[in-house]
Amino acid sequence: MPPNGYPWPIETTRLDNGLRVTVSQDRSAPVVAVNLWYDVGSRHEPHGCTGFAHLFEHLMFEGSVHVAKSEHMQLIQGAGGSLNATTNPDRTNYFETVPAEHLALALWLEADRMGGLVPALSQETLDNQREVVKNERRQRYENVPYGDAWLRLLPMLYPPGHPYHHATIGSMEDLNAADLATFKNFHETYYAPNNAVLTVVGDADPAEVFGLAEKFFGGLAPRPDIPAAPEGRQVVIAGGPARDRVAADVPAPRVYLAHRTYPFGTAEYDALTVLAVVLGSGRGSRLYQRLADGARLAQPDNIGAYGVDLAHGPAPLIVTATARPGVTAEQLEAGLVEVVDELASGGVTEAELDRARALLTTSWWRQLATFEGRADTLGRYAVQFGDPARAAERLPGWLSVTAERASGLAAELLRPIDRATLTYVPEAMA
Amino acid sequence: MTLTAQRPATGEARPYRFPAVVRRSVAGGNIVAAHVPGHQLAVATLLLDAGALREPAGREGLAGVVAKALEEGTAARDSTAYALALEGLGTELSMAVDWDSFRVGVQVPVERLPLAVELLAEAVRTPRLDPADVTRVRDDEVTSLRMYWANPGPRADAALRADLFGVDQRAGRPMDGDPDSVQAVTVEDVVDFHRGWLTRAGTLLVVGDLERLDLDVLGATAFADTRAEPADAGPPLAVPTRAERRIILVDRPGSVQSTLRLGHPAPHRAHPDYVPMSLASTVLGGAFTSRLNHLIREVRGYTYGIRSDFGLSRRFGRFVVSSNVQTAVTAPALVDAVAEIARTQSAGVTEPELEVARSWRAGQLSVELQTPRAVAGALATLVVYGLPDDYHARLRGELLAASVDDVSAAAAAHLHPEGLTLVVEGDAAVIRDELAATGLGDVVTATF
Repeated sequence: MPPNGYPWPIETTRLDNGLRVTVSQDRSAPVVAVNLWYDVGSRHEPHGCTGFAHLFEHLMFEGSVHVAKSEHMQLIQGAGGSLNATTNPDRTNYFETVPAEHLALALWLEADRMGGLVPALSQETLDNQREVVKNERRQRYENVPYGDAWLRLLPMLYPPGHPYHHATIGSMEDLNAADLATFKNFHETYYAPNNAVLTVVGDADPAEVFGLAEKFFGGLAPRPDIPAAPEGRQVVIAGGPARDRVAADVPAPRVYLAHRTYPFGTAEYDALTVLAVVLGSGRGSRLYQRLADGARLAQPDNIGAYGVDLAHGPAPLIVTATARPGVTAEQLEAGLVEVVDELASGGVTEAELDRARALLTTSWWRQLATFEGRADTLGRYAVQFGDPARAAERLPGWLSVTAERASGLAAELLRPIDRATLTYVPEAMA
Repeated sequence: MTLTAQRPATGEARPYRFPAVVRRSVAGGNIVAAHVPGHQLAVATLLLDAGALREPAGREGLAGVVAKALEEGTAARDSTAYALALEGLGTELSMAVDWDSFRVGVQVPVERLPLAVELLAEAVRTPRLDPADVTRVRDDEVTSLRMYWANPGPRADAALRADLFGVDQRAGRPMDGDPDSVQAVTVEDVVDFHRGWLTRAGTLLVVGDLERLDLDVLGATAFADTRAEPADAGPPLAVPTRAERRIILVDRPGSVQSTLRLGHPAPHRAHPDYVPMSLASTVLGGAFTSRLNHLIREVRGYTYGIRSDFGLSRRFGRFVVSSNVQTAVTAPALVDAVAEIARTQSAGVTEPELEVARSWRAGQLSVELQTPRAVAGALATLVVYGLPDDYHARLRGELLAASVDDVSAAAAAHLHPEGLTLVVEGDAAVIRDELAATGLGDVVTATF
């Protein structure tokens, strides 16, 4: 019998204004994790507004009607809690974990910024957080070797107009052009109770959470006409394989091979997840065995393959390796291509699947080991698949992938003509 | 819009409990365990007194090479067979070397822990250490460090460390070594380090559902054929604080940000002032709402983040402020940061700030210690620094009881704004003159 991937209780309700609420009680630690998934991400950004969803996420910490600038952080940290937020192409999430007695505070703070952000937004706050975000961009993408790989891969995989064409961090030009009215409008458009899921996991009674949710969020008006992001399931690619070769200040040649696959949550993407482990997770993986250990083309610490779990279009599979000293980008690429082509033509073995299943099982339970990990997972399944309980399906979904299905998927997806290849070479070698 | 104006009251506090610490002596080694039921996964970590301070001079990074070499095959099987056996259980070896310890851990579904510990012990106790493999691993480690050193940060860290502790001291060299020191590691060094330090019994940390685990069996596996030979840690090092502040410039041409590392020596981890000292650092730069982050990120917008902490180990410590700031504002950011350190040292902390800091740190104990892996880390803290079993339970009370006077006194005693070494890694041609004009200290250029 396949294992249940979510063996804890789940209770749900929906407020009249459309806010969906999920509670998963676990009294094993005296804390609660609170998580809000808003169904808005950088895929909703129109041309010229890249980076706005993420910059907006920053503004959500800068005060609301009843909360002064910096007070949100102060109240949560003063309660002993941790907090953060992240934005990706699909969605924006906000989360905090607090000692259980501060549950009401966390919900109140989230409600205040869901319903009362706009009056508190100021030009000064926007200008300050714009600079912070530009420094985030410099720190993460511009000032580190290979830091812009993701920014380069996305437009190679997704054509202009596709919701995944641009990266969430956005461009400096667009960030500089962001004006206050746009952000007020952004909040009014997307930050509505019927566009969000509230999840609470931990030392909390479901009835109490539902009552607090009604009390703090129940008076917020829904928005009837939330605009959808551009359709992303169909990707029309003109021409053959995409290539980009970058001469940059990097310490060694590096190659990325990327393929469009299937949306996260599909049976095909489960098979892809298993394939990625077979190909590139751990010392027993094909890439490690063939290129780090065997042919010794690649550095053992910088080799791998992974899917990026995006749900609103064909999610990318990224395969990457970095050259050992004396190995050229061309030699490394040839080695990578050989391993990937072999996977496409020869498929996977049962032994490889067993290894992948064991690693994925541990990885799944590690993700759910903390209350915050569980809350984020339930929020994802509620937003993306309409039911938090569907989180239980993922682990059995992975474990049920057969060699035949994984091999068939590899043959279908990993064709050279569908490949995007990004190569970095040190300036001195270019 | 209908919002509740009144901030809700705090509910009834739930008791915080650190799980009971179980100690057992088995087969010449020590087991330190905690019963954490309700988790699918269990953790075992072999903790050995074989940290970076045990490395010989000129071989900094040796322990890291040893760690990598352990996975290159054992007396029983080659490296591929070993990887497949281990990953077939669902785990990889997690290796960590710090100043005071060498840790090898596994994390697997509870029922697989005995097998995973067998494989862990096989790698640690009976590695092949074939000379060709060791040489290759050493070369890969050199490459790996070269990659790492191409990022902003490592050179600034090294410059700070050398200035604080002396480049001729182990503490004055990078914890993980640098490409040159690792290149100097020989096969003999690796074999000797293994024989000297990794064949001692050490301590096995076990966290999970202990009702489903036999600690004696795990201990017998981990400590088979080892020596029960304790290692002397040595006394805390006496490290003087610099008499005058100075700026060390590390050139990174074309850098769009400057990396800041501002620091001075600090006491060791088990120092009696640990709690007030760390609370002072929390107020200054340890939390998002702290003084440094508030001013330099939230008011000025100079950075994505800035933080301070006391990095403390068994024999020494250091206070350090870390950030990356936009190149154009390097000098004003540096002036602001030094001023906040000086203000905290001279005027101490306020009750509202301390209230946030102590509640945060106390609350974080329950927030962070949810998983077997986190609890295993807490057990390692007890073992490495020789702290009592009720340390974590008492720590909460001590944090909550710290007064403004206690914490201000610790800030006055343990912050040294006049003796700071200010390392700036950035585009020297652009920032050198501005740095000199700040008057914060003489500007010297790092030689690497």
